[in-house]
Amino acid sequence: MTSPDQSTVFIIDDDLSIRESLQSLFQSVGQAAQTFETTREFLAAKRPDAPGCLVLDVRLPGGSGLEFQRELVSSGILMPVVFITGHGDIPMSVGAMKAGAIEFLTKPFRDQDLLDAVHKGIERDRERRREASSLQELRDRFRSLTPREREIMVLVAAGQLNKQVAAALQLSEITVKVHRGQVMRKMKARTLPDLVRFADRLEAEGLGRLADAEAAL
Amino acid sequence: MRDWNGEPPGDRLALLTTLPPGRGQLRLAGLVLLVLLAALLAAVPFARVPLPGTETLLQGYAVAVLTNEIITSVLLFGIYAVQRSPAVLALAVGYVFAALCIIPWLLTFPGVLAPNGLLGSKLQSTAWIAALRRLGFPAFVLAFALLGDRPPHGPRGSAKPVILTSLVATGAGVALFTWLVVAQESALPALMTASGPNALWLVVPAGAVLLCAIALVFLWRSRRTVLRLWLMVVVSAWMIETLLLGFISAGRLSLGWWAGRLYGLTAASLVLVVLLSEMTRLYAVLMRSVSAERHAREARLTTMEALAASVAHEVNQPLASMVTNANAGLRWLERASPDLGEARTALKRIVREGHRAGAVVEGIRSMFRRTGQDCGPVDVNDVLHDALDHATGELPPGRISVHLDLEDRIGPVVGNPVQLRQAVSNLITNAIDAMQTMEGRPRLLRVKSALRGGNEVLVSVEDSGPGLDPEYGQRVFEPFFTTKPDGMGMGLMIARSIVEGHGGTLWIGQSGPEGTIFCFTLPVAGGEAQPARRRT
Repeated sequence: MTSPDQSTVFIIDDDLSIRESLQSLFQSVGQAAQTFETTREFLAAKRPDAPGCLVLDVRLPGGSGLEFQRELVSSGILMPVVFITGHGDIPMSVGAMKAGAIEFLTKPFRDQDLLDAVHKGIERDRERRREASSLQELRDRFRSLTPREREIMVLVAAGQLNKQVAAALQLSEITVKVHRGQVMRKMKARTLPDLVRFADRLEAEGLGRLADAEAAL
Repeated sequence: MRDWNGEPPGDRLALLTTLPPGRGQLRLAGLVLLVLLAALLAAVPFARVPLPGTETLLQGYAVAVLTNEIITSVLLFGIYAVQRSPAVLALAVGYVFAALCIIPWLLTFPGVLAPNGLLGSKLQSTAWIAALRRLGFPAFVLAFALLGDRPPHGPRGSAKPVILTSLVATGAGVALFTWLVVAQESALPALMTASGPNALWLVVPAGAVLLCAIALVFLWRSRRTVLRLWLMVVVSAWMIETLLLGFISAGRLSLGWWAGRLYGLTAASLVLVVLLSEMTRLYAVLMRSVSAERHAREARLTTMEALAASVAHEVNQPLASMVTNANAGLRWLERASPDLGEARTALKRIVREGHRAGAVVEGIRSMFRRTGQDCGPVDVNDVLHDALDHATGELPPGRISVHLDLEDRIGPVVGNPVQLRQAVSNLITNAIDAMQTMEGRPRLLRVKSALRGGNEVLVSVEDSGPGLDPEYGQRVFEPFFTTKPDGMGMGLMIARSIVEGHGGTLWIGQSGPEGTIFCFTLPVAGGEAQPARRRT
């Protein structure tokens, strides 16, 4: 496993020896790892802007790991979590998995299990970040549209023909065609289905109804 | 470990026949006796007042006495069945005898059930039965006083045949006597004349009073028990009854005679009342001790469970670290260009963690060892240093300022150094944890040792944390009680049990918003000559 994109494992465990051993294990496979004694330390640290995965002991000073998992979600840190525990019971692991943990490993665990889980976590984070950044790009593209172009994009994405759009906006069909070409170019949509898909994603991801997007921007 | 049960269950059963009377019992018995005597004095002036027509009350009186004496004898037979004391058997038979005598006495009493009594009785019948009862009961009490409480040696069979035999024999004896005094009345010397008792009759109460007096003396001289104490009151009442009936009253159905009857009822009821109330009390005591025992057992179980969980965790941590280090080491070696330096570091950590796990196991073993060979003279200050190094070793420097204030002149204490270090490090860990989340104040850990009273060392561990909630009180020493989110709630309990195991005491010296002080004392090894350190 290599981390060409600086992916990092974040280890939070109050036991120094566990932290040391985990860090050594990750480094031995070329995976960057940072260790923290407390959750507070982790939150205060400056984290690299790269895919990551959290390895969390269930028993932590100043609150259980499960609580911290919920805290992370509510504070917008969407990093995948792998739990390690000295005393795992089934209800606890079910709770952790339900809250979105990648894996729940009982100490002592097989190293490959941990590496696999962390790998899976990093991949998931990478995927999430890619998703997030492509969405961001879409937003930027959408922002670059003129108000007129946005109107036309909304109507076109809703399945209306040029003629209908022209009628609705009281424009000539030619003008609509020109604007539509601009929209396709600026949004980097090669085909109409592409544009419809982009519009759907923007609508789903917090921009509200695209029709009201003008007000939102 | 402490003995949770208090006293071990004794082999002596706490029965009324063996239980010594308490102070309250003695006072009550004395009071009852005084009341009886006062009543006697009050009754004497009116003793000769006749109360004709009161024969009808006699039935109720007889039934009450009969019932009380039968129930008393049943209870006494019950005690005999458990304890097999010949004395108790004699007393039980005495009560049955007195109860059975009441029956022919009532039946033959002239003017109660028939003008001349039932069973074809004659003038002397009732008097002879009364005489038998009057002399018989004190005789049985005397037998009780003379016979031992200890069961006879030899095989212990069922109590049933003995009880049945005594019942049948008593019943047959009373029946035979009744037949004798009814059918052979004319052959017996006369106790009654038509106008009242004759001179021979006076021999009966005199004999009864004598028997009572002898019984009292023997009861007084034997070992005091609740039963013997109250029997003394019973015998006194019986004596007063006899005096009233025989010497003070004006014969049957006079006021004195009825007063005597009341004493008879008192005598018949006293032991019953005492038996019932004492049995209820003993039953309550028994129930309490049974439930205390059950609680103690449950507490022991939960402590063991908690201990097991804590042990599992303590051992699991180094174990997990070792496995991970070994895996990491292998991976460093398996790389295209093996990194020997990293592999060596991993191996060193494995060694360190192996020792850590070993120390945990050793600590646990020593905790359960009462007087292991590892006991010896221990320098308390060494223990404090060790525990402090251990507890603060992993802390980032500067996080907590540690003040050590150790008295050099302390002699060694005798104990197990591993255990003592465990106790101290539990206190220090608590102190550090208490200051963990504290902001805006210096985090100060102060560990002190001092001499106290020349024969004790006083150790205190003080933090500047927010203090304990006063409502927790002594609960902090209970297993499972914790104020830490991830605490097991075992630390203080273990610390206290170790300190107490060394003959010391552990307590909360002070706790407020300025911090908490935990103190404990340990006895210093006696004498100036320090015991030589044993070498093995």
